[in-house]
Amino acid sequence: MGFSIALIVLSLLLMLTVLLHKGKGGGLSDMFGGGMQSSVGGSSVAERNLDRITVILGLLWLACIVTLSLILKFG
Amino acid sequence: MLTAFAKAFKTPDLRKKLLFTLAILVVYRLGCNIPAPGVDFRYVKECVSQASTSGGSLFGLVNLFSGGALLQLTIFALGIMPYITASIILQLLTVVIPRLEALKKEGQAGQTKITQYTRYLTLALGVLQATGLAATARSGNLFSQCSVGSQVVSSQSYMTIVTMVVTMTAGTAIIMWLGELITDRGIGNGMSILMFTSIAAGFPGQIWQIKQQKGWLPFTLVIVLGLCLVGLVVFVEQAQRRIPVQYAKRMIGRRAYGGTSTYIPLKVNQAGVIPVIFASSLLYIPALVVQFSGSTASWANWVEQNLTKGDHPIYMVIYFLLIVFFAFFYVGISFNPEEVADNMKKYGGFIPGYRAGRQTAEYLQYVLTRITWPGSLYLGLIALVPLVALVAFNANQNFPFGGTTILILVGVGLETVKQIDSQLQQRSYEGFLR
Repeated sequence: MGFSIALIVLSLLLMLTVLLHKGKGGGLSDMFGGGMQSSVGGSSVAERNLDRITVILGLLWLACIVTLSLILKFG
Repeated sequence: MLTAFAKAFKTPDLRKKLLFTLAILVVYRLGCNIPAPGVDFRYVKECVSQASTSGGSLFGLVNLFSGGALLQLTIFALGIMPYITASIILQLLTVVIPRLEALKKEGQAGQTKITQYTRYLTLALGVLQATGLAATARSGNLFSQCSVGSQVVSSQSYMTIVTMVVTMTAGTAIIMWLGELITDRGIGNGMSILMFTSIAAGFPGQIWQIKQQKGWLPFTLVIVLGLCLVGLVVFVEQAQRRIPVQYAKRMIGRRAYGGTSTYIPLKVNQAGVIPVIFASSLLYIPALVVQFSGSTASWANWVEQNLTKGDHPIYMVIYFLLIVFFAFFYVGISFNPEEVADNMKKYGGFIPGYRAGRQTAEYLQYVLTRITWPGSLYLGLIALVPLVALVAFNANQNFPFGGTTILILVGVGLETVKQIDSQLQQRSYEGFLR
């Protein structure tokens, strides 16, 4: 039960951080055979920190899923 | 060709990009194989293997796009389908809602805003689809023919279902992020590359299935036919009409600009695979509605008989017509002749034999309409190939050389190779394509 709640909280946080990113790539039109445009400019410091947070959250999320699955199976 | 590969890996920044893309793909495939919490993986495996031999299911297309992750109920089960659906919806809404149209015309800033809306909508749709998937899996309807279908979800409590739904939605968010990372720092468009991998992942298994069911002769026949089809698709995808444009020479200060003659390339298949995706997503909705409502009214029966099976004549005709319609529709909203003509006029360009402005726009529209006819017919026919093969080979719906599959694989492959090529050409002039 505790892990389930932790997983839900982590998932919500993960969604939030992903949504905080600046969206790159504009939808369908350049998905298949659109114009070629190279993204100019690097990412800002805030963006890089956000990347780091997202990666850490993602790893925690994964660990949580694995432990929860194990608990459900053997517990 | 091989030297080009070696060169691509010798160029430091290109190598970095390629390796980054590969790493992301590894993460993606890994996530596609981790079952969501609360799912009993043994039963799922048993049911999936039963379903794949007993014929295609309603979820065939969506399952294809998620690389088989959907039916296995993994954490990335939804794949990029929510993102595609969200993009389609926003694309259609830009025609209807004036505010979105204004945003689209604004250029870069407006486009960013539309992308942001797409991302919100993706998560909303993700919640919706995850709930639907979890509910059908819980009630056992996901694998209705399977004997252990109702035991796929280990516990019937609401807590398990909620956890599953939230996890899958978070999975969708992560997939979206992975795609954006590839677009940003890797090679090619992230979303289409993710789709490419998930389709390509199921490919060898499906071909092998044909060999095991039918033997060697149909197996080789299918491969040869598939290669011919790939050749044809590449040929048409590369085909374009070049409309000559002459630019007037201008002096600005002491430097001369323009005075060159170039061309506007109009591709035969300007819309790419989008019409096929639109049409198949649209055709899948009525069957889904019937499945969820469980109604037995006459219309529901009609839908069940005519629209769920890919090899039914009515389905084929509607599919074909929808594809042709969407090809024209998409070309109509993505290429605006008036805008192109206006831009040409601004920079002193003209098509020889036509006046700048309205006449040019009319000429462009005329050529575009005429060139889209063969393009749309070709799209429709290619998309029907698997359905024909379904009848001829008596194969199931996951026929590996399906039209949608080939169109996506070739389209994305060509696009990505072109992008690598242009990166290579910044260093030296020889690339993959000659």
